[in-house]
Amino acid sequence: MFSTLTSLLVTTTQGAPSNFWLPKQASTVAESVDLTFFVITWISYFFFFAITAALIIFMIKYRRKGPEIVVQGPTHNTILEIAWTVLPLLLVAVIFVVGMRGYLNLMEAPEGSYDVQVTGQKWSWTFEHPKYGATQVAQLTVPVNTPVRLLMTSNDVLHSVWIPDFRVKMDVIPGRYTSLWFEATAVGDYSLACSEYCGKDHSKMFATVRVVPIDEFEPLMVKLASEYEDMNVGQLPAYAINRLYNRCQSCHSLDGTTGTGPSFKGLWDRVSKGDIEFTSGEKLSSLLGEATTYGLPENYIRTSIVDPQKHIVQGYLGSMPSFQGQLKDKQITAMIEMFKHLSELTDAEGNITVNPDGTPRQ
Amino acid sequence: MTTLTTPNPTDNYLNHTTGIRSWLFTLDHKRIGVMYLICVLLAFLLAGVFAMMIRFQLLTPEGTFLTQDQYNQAFTVHGAIMVFLVIIPAVPAALGNFVLPIMLGAKDVAFPKLNLFSWYLWIFGLVFFLIALGAGGIDTGWTFYTPYSIDKASSMGGVIPALIGAFILGFSSIFTGMNFIVTIHRLRPKGMTWFKMPLFLWATYATAIIQVLATPVIGITLLLLIVERSVGIGIFDPAMGGDPVLYQHFFWFYSHPAVYIMILPAMGVVSELISVHSHRHIFGYKFIAYSSIAIAMFGFLVWGHHMFTSGQSPLMNIIFSLITFSVSIPSGVKIFNWLATLYKGSISLNTSMIYALSFIFIFSIGGLTGLHLATLATDIHLHDSYFVVAHFHYVMMGSSLIGFLGGIHHWWPKMTGKMYNENWGRISATLVFIGFNVTFFSQFMLGSKGMPRRYATYDAFPNADLFQVYHIWSTVGSTILALGFVICAVYLLHSVFKGKKAPANPWGGRSLEWQCTSPPPWDNFADQPEVGDCYDYSVLEWNEEEQGYVWKKDAVHPGE
Repeated sequence: MFSTLTSLLVTTTQGAPSNFWLPKQASTVAESVDLTFFVITWISYFFFFAITAALIIFMIKYRRKGPEIVVQGPTHNTILEIAWTVLPLLLVAVIFVVGMRGYLNLMEAPEGSYDVQVTGQKWSWTFEHPKYGATQVAQLTVPVNTPVRLLMTSNDVLHSVWIPDFRVKMDVIPGRYTSLWFEATAVGDYSLACSEYCGKDHSKMFATVRVVPIDEFEPLMVKLASEYEDMNVGQLPAYAINRLYNRCQSCHSLDGTTGTGPSFKGLWDRVSKGDIEFTSGEKLSSLLGEATTYGLPENYIRTSIVDPQKHIVQGYLGSMPSFQGQLKDKQITAMIEMFKHLSELTDAEGNITVNPDGTPRQ
Repeated sequence: MTTLTTPNPTDNYLNHTTGIRSWLFTLDHKRIGVMYLICVLLAFLLAGVFAMMIRFQLLTPEGTFLTQDQYNQAFTVHGAIMVFLVIIPAVPAALGNFVLPIMLGAKDVAFPKLNLFSWYLWIFGLVFFLIALGAGGIDTGWTFYTPYSIDKASSMGGVIPALIGAFILGFSSIFTGMNFIVTIHRLRPKGMTWFKMPLFLWATYATAIIQVLATPVIGITLLLLIVERSVGIGIFDPAMGGDPVLYQHFFWFYSHPAVYIMILPAMGVVSELISVHSHRHIFGYKFIAYSSIAIAMFGFLVWGHHMFTSGQSPLMNIIFSLITFSVSIPSGVKIFNWLATLYKGSISLNTSMIYALSFIFIFSIGGLTGLHLATLATDIHLHDSYFVVAHFHYVMMGSSLIGFLGGIHHWWPKMTGKMYNENWGRISATLVFIGFNVTFFSQFMLGSKGMPRRYATYDAFPNADLFQVYHIWSTVGSTILALGFVICAVYLLHSVFKGKKAPANPWGGRSLEWQCTSPPPWDNFADQPEVGDCYDYSVLEWNEEEQGYVWKKDAVHPGE
């Protein structure tokens, strides 16, 4: 009880630490959200203590003394009843207006916010930084004191981004975009949790928002965007499946199901055996081997990425765009290495089982 | 003219006919009410087992004994059983069936066969839920949100049987509602105008309107979902151009009014309990009656507040937020009127009254925390968190179910003809009150501090230690709560076999059910009774010999 009362007296200044009710404040909107929270909580305390006090006093004072007692009292009082209808109405009207203003503030991202593309999929978060061409999984690095706008969509079912310390939340929906924005006010790590039930590992769909000083942000992003350059071939498959595959996954599954394009599962097998037929009627096997178009199967895959319209696999529409110029040579190599080692990178259901650095994913 | 001094006849509805067939094919509303009561309580026990599994799983951040899939099943089954099989039918179908016709001085509801059919539909609904558990289980949450529920590859195999079960239960609810509407319109006795009805009937009537108007919408929605999952028509499936959020609109268009299907009848019960057990005329009868209708009406217009974070347009959110606040007004009116009834009353602190007072306390917290959730700026943070879990348990469990328990104790002597042990009743009701608040109050902080709902584990959070403290409190509370329920079950069962014989009117109630014997005769009243003010207790006096209340010798009977 004492801690309840002291927490009531906490003035909500920006960046306030956590109190009895709310976690610490780490975004520009947190202060006004908390102020609204405490206004409502105070009103609630007032009514709650008044009602409870009345209950307890009446319970004691008017306790029945014997079965023969008959009491008579007023059966109504119109003025009193109108009063306790209208006065709360005024009170909730005020709460509504305060809440609405705070909400509009939450909804409108400032001009020139830093954009991040967020993709939710069972059961992980992918964050892409279009400005740097960098991709992060399960961690989102953002600069402090900078408005950041998340443009979000889902690859499968509903998810929801909740960053409690920032007091922001928005559902992530397949087939449409939603957005939220925040401006972090303090450097540090913050929890980002999925708050819309999404199946088996819903409770493990977690990411960390790492807020860094502005001058450290750009070098970090540049490094992240070019991290593959220092890797040896053995490190590339884990890199590719974590950092590059997310651009393929809306069409190419990892579990064998057919999407807009063929599944990646078993792809290397099919390609190396030449066991693929094109809409032209040609078979891949006739293009492989010495003195043919491709020679090595690796060359065929490379062509499929940079010039996907050249050969269209039978049964598909051939709607893949070219990745010419978007992927560096070493990244294409990484993709090919990924196909070769796909069974070591995924489980039977097509879930990715390694982290970008090659350690097993929890 | 029935009088209170009629000696208890040996013939009553319990022994009028015998044998299992006489129950399974009965058209008597009292027997159907009792059958509902038994079934609902058994379903409650089952759902309670799942609730305890949830609570013990969350004792440690990594989870103690369930896998992710098992936990997801546990909370889904707990929610689905509690909503569809327990809370929705609890007060209207179990208590309402028993009490409503007697309160009207009628021999039965308007359509007795339809009434029995409703009970069988409940049984069929239960059977389909059990099939769902056998057919691969169900892990969608009781809300069946798309596209997870239509994704056969990820959600479990029992979705379609569960949807069929919920569909059938919907019809059970619709038929009960229709029956009550017609009964209240057509079978009121001479002298009982609308504003002379007991408030329980107003609440039941308001509920019945929602049941009849809103439940068909969930029926259609569930059918669409069944078709979407089985053949794929592309209405909710984004992969086929459908809109998964559309499902949420359809679902909550029913399921928000359904919240009032759950709470309104319990409010009706509490209006009776407060007045009868404080032996004082209800204060502000008309305001309480109108507030039931107002809640029923506003309840239809607020479903969008379940979608404040679903990417709904800000304008829609603002409108839904505004209308949501309007529901708080009639709810507040009820609380103030109940308090005014207690004021200068003569309060018997018996088991029923402890439940009624618990209801006011708990519903106040449930209602006030609703303000945090109706307010847009704060809801964004609290949405889909444990704060919401705590809030709706305060309203649905702490209010609806505690109102139901209060009602059971109030009408138990009438139903069984036996008195339960009042002291054990008080102990149990107090344990339920304490256990409930310890269990669920801690969940408010859990949510506002950042714990999302429907989490099998919470070890990913850096502040898991803090969450664990609240979870331990909650689990301790749930154990106290369970103990309260077990004690309650024991003394109630004991009373059936060993309880003292109940007088016609043990509490001093004035509504018509207290004017027939306990248990009531087969056809309730030989002649349709005449009625007066059902909250005027001045005509009653205590009779030591009867151990109950009887008419004063010089009191004028209504109609005389």
